[in-house]
Amino acid sequence: MTPLEAIRLVVRRELVERIRQKSLLVSTALTLAIVVAIGVIPGVVGDDGPTTYDVGLVGDRGATTELADALERVEFGDDVSVGTRTVDDRDQAERLVAAGDLDAAIDGDRVIVEEDLGDELGAVLQLAHRSVLTREALDAAGASAQEAAAITDPAPLRTEAIDPPDAEKDDRSNLVNIGVFIVFSQIFGFGFAVASGVVEEKSSRVVEVVLAKVRPAHLLAGKIIGIGLLGFAQLLLFLAVGLGAAIAAGSVDLPPGIVGATALVLAWYVVGFALYSCLFAMAGAVASRVEELQNTSMPIQVVVMAGYFAAIFASGEPEGTVARVASFLPTFAPMVMPIRMVAGGAAWWEIVLSVVLVLVTLVIIVRLAARVYSGGALRTRGKISLRHAYAGTD
Amino acid sequence: MLEFIDLARRYGDVVALDGVSFSVGPGEMRGFVGRNGAGKTTAMRIALGLVAPDRGEVRWKGSPVSDDARRRIGYMPEERGLYPKMRVLDQLAYFGTLSGMASDDARTAARNWTERLGVGGRAGDRLEELSLGNQQRVQLAAALVHAPDVLVLDEPFSGLDPVGVDVLAEALRAEVDRGVALVFSSHQLELVESLCDAVTIIDQGKVVASGGIDELRARHARRSLRVELEGGRTDWADRLPGVASARMDGDGVVLALEAGADTDVVLDAARGAGRVRVFAPVVPRLAELFREVVQP
Repeated sequence: MTPLEAIRLVVRRELVERIRQKSLLVSTALTLAIVVAIGVIPGVVGDDGPTTYDVGLVGDRGATTELADALERVEFGDDVSVGTRTVDDRDQAERLVAAGDLDAAIDGDRVIVEEDLGDELGAVLQLAHRSVLTREALDAAGASAQEAAAITDPAPLRTEAIDPPDAEKDDRSNLVNIGVFIVFSQIFGFGFAVASGVVEEKSSRVVEVVLAKVRPAHLLAGKIIGIGLLGFAQLLLFLAVGLGAAIAAGSVDLPPGIVGATALVLAWYVVGFALYSCLFAMAGAVASRVEELQNTSMPIQVVVMAGYFAAIFASGEPEGTVARVASFLPTFAPMVMPIRMVAGGAAWWEIVLSVVLVLVTLVIIVRLAARVYSGGALRTRGKISLRHAYAGTD
Repeated sequence: MLEFIDLARRYGDVVALDGVSFSVGPGEMRGFVGRNGAGKTTAMRIALGLVAPDRGEVRWKGSPVSDDARRRIGYMPEERGLYPKMRVLDQLAYFGTLSGMASDDARTAARNWTERLGVGGRAGDRLEELSLGNQQRVQLAAALVHAPDVLVLDEPFSGLDPVGVDVLAEALRAEVDRGVALVFSSHQLELVESLCDAVTIIDQGKVVASGGIDELRARHARRSLRVELEGGRTDWADRLPGVASARMDGDGVVLALEAGADTDVVLDAARGAGRVRVFAPVVPRLAELFREVVQP
């Protein structure tokens, strides 16, 4: 039997047994629900499009035409418009306002509202009212229609932004932020699953039966690959469903670079998981009971968390010192570098250097983990020092 | 032939093995006995590549045990271990494939062994749902599922009820008759005596006796006589020439004879004391042999 065949058998067992566990299905379903919620809610609740106010004008058509025209002319951003209708008398106006058919009604110099007049609608009504009165006054003073219009409806101020927002970039980096969070949870969750898988085999003593048939490095490789594949598949599912839900609900306009950004996140996940799962495997190898695992894996948990916080920090300031330094630290790079890359600030040589550093570290860690695992896997009593596990001594 | 050659291994200051050699051939069942901590488990773990020896090696068919040969050994560790949450049949099939079997063959063999060992009805259950005795049967099936040429079993009988012992003994006997080389450790010396062709006794990391059981009895144990007189008198045997010791045994006495003792002298003394009802050689039990060669 070749090493590959042995690894394949171990991978298969990890996949089959883990997929069968109800806990995996439940946690996947729960996370999916959250992902869908995150994707859908902004589309439903957040930005609900332009607001149209319905305003009633009391009096006959002739008396209210000017005000109606003025209300339509008022510029109050793109999102606000006012529709008007004529109302016979004050009683009808009050009824319609109370029933919610109208947001407000204007009767001469009064505005009728149900509870209060909002700031937005208030400003619009006051502007229109002022415009009508001003025009009447100008009319009376003998100004021409053009002159009156120039005064009552001057050309509005135009905005010139020094640093206009890039909607595409914002959408993309929001998605990357969500992506990095999911990557962090997957690395943390499935990395820890490697550690606890190692300890469970030790505490149930089955490891001795398996290691009589399979070399330790192959058993470890199979375990990491099996759990990693599961994590990867789950990650794909989350991203696909999350993005799908977001598109369906219209929460985000997917920017053109989204496929690249997603591929980037996935590629960094593979590297990050490989690195952390080896570290977690060592934590498992030096523990002999699940209860000890919290202790032995604590340093790794701290490093993963630190990496995630560095990533959050980096998303706010992609070219800050923290982000730049963290993107070259092999344990942080898988979470920080994708953020810098999407933000567009990382130079090509920085990306290459970061990838090389991570891969070199990975090679070292894989060898270290295989050795520590070989030394620790059969020691099923008590906590083992890392040094002894590495040296294979007692 | 599985050969243990000059195995030595220390754990810190503790000497676990100090030059242990013995072998077990095809169709042979060898008992491996010794007190707790004598080094039995270490020797077996070395054979399975789980512990590296400081000196010596284990050979199979004349060459050091390769990875592929090791996979083919049926092994039952002292500390039982299987996947608690995995279903019995899946689990056994998995171990079969790890030993190089095709997936379908492994499942068939797994089903056969569960039935043969009396746990066929539990094949679809998770291991942790089985009683400890049944878990042990599954453990044995895990060692046997790939039809190994060599079986190395560490305390296979411990924890079994008498019925379980019979089932296991029968299965092992059948495997040995098939040509399997079997070595197993045990503290149940009567069982070793009744099952095994040969035995190796180790003490403090060294082999103190090894060979066919009959041969060992002849070589090591003092000859003994059991003598019973009518009326049950036993005081006549004290201080007879050639008798090393005498002890009461039911209605009679068992006399341990010194080398070259003349049994006629004993018989005359017995007849002088009364009518002799029994005068017979006693075959020493393995347990007696064990006590003789192992330091208290």
